[in-house]
Amino acid sequence: MARGGGNRSRLLLVILLVTALFFITLDLRGVSLTKGSRSVTQTILSPVQRTVSTIFSPVGRFFGDVKNFGKTNAELTQALAANKLLKSKLAANSDSKGQLAQLKAVLDLAGRGNYKVAAARVIARGSASSFSQTITIDAGSSSGIRSNMTVISQNGLVGVVKSTTSSTAIVMLMSDPSFKVGVRIARSQSVGVLSGLGSTEYSLVLLDPSGTIKTGDILLTNGSEGNRPFVPGVPVGVVVGADNSAASLTQTATVNSYANLNDLGVVSVVLSAPTTAPSRPLLPTPNPTVTVYVTPTPSPVLSPTPSASPTKKK
Amino acid sequence: MSPVRIIYTLGFFFILFVVQESAVSLVHFPISGFSLYLALAISLIAFEDHNGAIVTGFLAGIVLDLSPTSNAPFGQWALILTSVAFLFAVNRDSIADVTSSPITFVIVVAGGVTLALIAYLCFGALLGEENGSLGHDATVLGGNLLWTVIFTPMFLPALRKAHEYSLTARER
Repeated sequence: MARGGGNRSRLLLVILLVTALFFITLDLRGVSLTKGSRSVTQTILSPVQRTVSTIFSPVGRFFGDVKNFGKTNAELTQALAANKLLKSKLAANSDSKGQLAQLKAVLDLAGRGNYKVAAARVIARGSASSFSQTITIDAGSSSGIRSNMTVISQNGLVGVVKSTTSSTAIVMLMSDPSFKVGVRIARSQSVGVLSGLGSTEYSLVLLDPSGTIKTGDILLTNGSEGNRPFVPGVPVGVVVGADNSAASLTQTATVNSYANLNDLGVVSVVLSAPTTAPSRPLLPTPNPTVTVYVTPTPSPVLSPTPSASPTKKK
Repeated sequence: MSPVRIIYTLGFFFILFVVQESAVSLVHFPISGFSLYLALAISLIAFEDHNGAIVTGFLAGIVLDLSPTSNAPFGQWALILTSVAFLFAVNRDSIADVTSSPITFVIVVAGGVTLALIAYLCFGALLGEENGSLGHDATVLGGNLLWTVIFTPMFLPALRKAHEYSLTARER
């Protein structure tokens, strides 16, 4: 590289780096220009995302089913074409059925909590270019959705609304590393903070150092002032591993969420909630747990009630 | 880099950004995700000369900063991709012409994507951003590396032709 060219390159580099740092400084100082540019991008992107999502949803499933291309027989080709059409319709139908089932379930959960909700379809997932975990939904401020509103699915908490346009909203998933929510343990009513770790597991830190966490404890949202960002009583997850060592200052635990964040088709945004927490917890059956019911056979030796002591027949 | 090519490059990156945000991000890849945007941006940087690479990196970063799903401050990707582009520009002569061998090119692009993501993580940590557990970050990095290695050879010929077509007579 010639000396003159090298100097020009370095000057160009310095100018561009300073420009980037200037933008970063403006953004961190809360200048609306940079925030506004992202809002405009979301407005431009949302119709494209909605269209692509509508097309891609059935087609994505269809790809896995289409086989045996390249057959030469005309009759077979015709049959395959008809089959393809039917499969495409079937995929579209099953997609609609799946979304309907999710919508029914999420409305059922919202109804039990007396929440006023706005249902929305997931039209995009967060970019792979960043480490944040988000989804985009096809309902926005025109449906009454504002930032910092609770988002739920049929099984429980999904996340919180991060930003909105008139027709879409971006939801920060509870698995996002920067996500934090106040929770209470249903058994003991101890309060703690649940944090996302970027994976399917979550970290719970109990605020009360003398409290205890047990495996299987159920966590519910504690609620926020004015029900934003979180309404109270929404199922969050279940404790799968507790660290109750005496040496630690705080009690911590690993938690699995009730909501399967990889399988979100329809979600609901809680627009308003009752001023008091639901009288009984809204506890769904956790997805991964298989419950086996065993009916004990009457035994002549042991009583089925735990309080009764075993008696010997004489 | 001529003003006309800057406009072309900006348009290309914006279309690519829309494709990434609306289509590629909908695909559930088995191991983490794939950033088509980063792979193509690094490829384009590798095709460019010194000044062209730096400007291309900056433009790619600015467009990526527009992502409404990003938690990072506006300008972070511009800073990262400009720096990565500069590294490419100063080292391309020492590692020979990376565009002449497809295998070398794929390795360099995959390495560039991984380097950009690591730099993004480190700079984000300096700014106090939450980036998740080490295991999660390693999965994202590993997944992007794997998918970049797999997908880059598929778009490489088309990208090379598109880049040659966009060059002015003087730049050729």
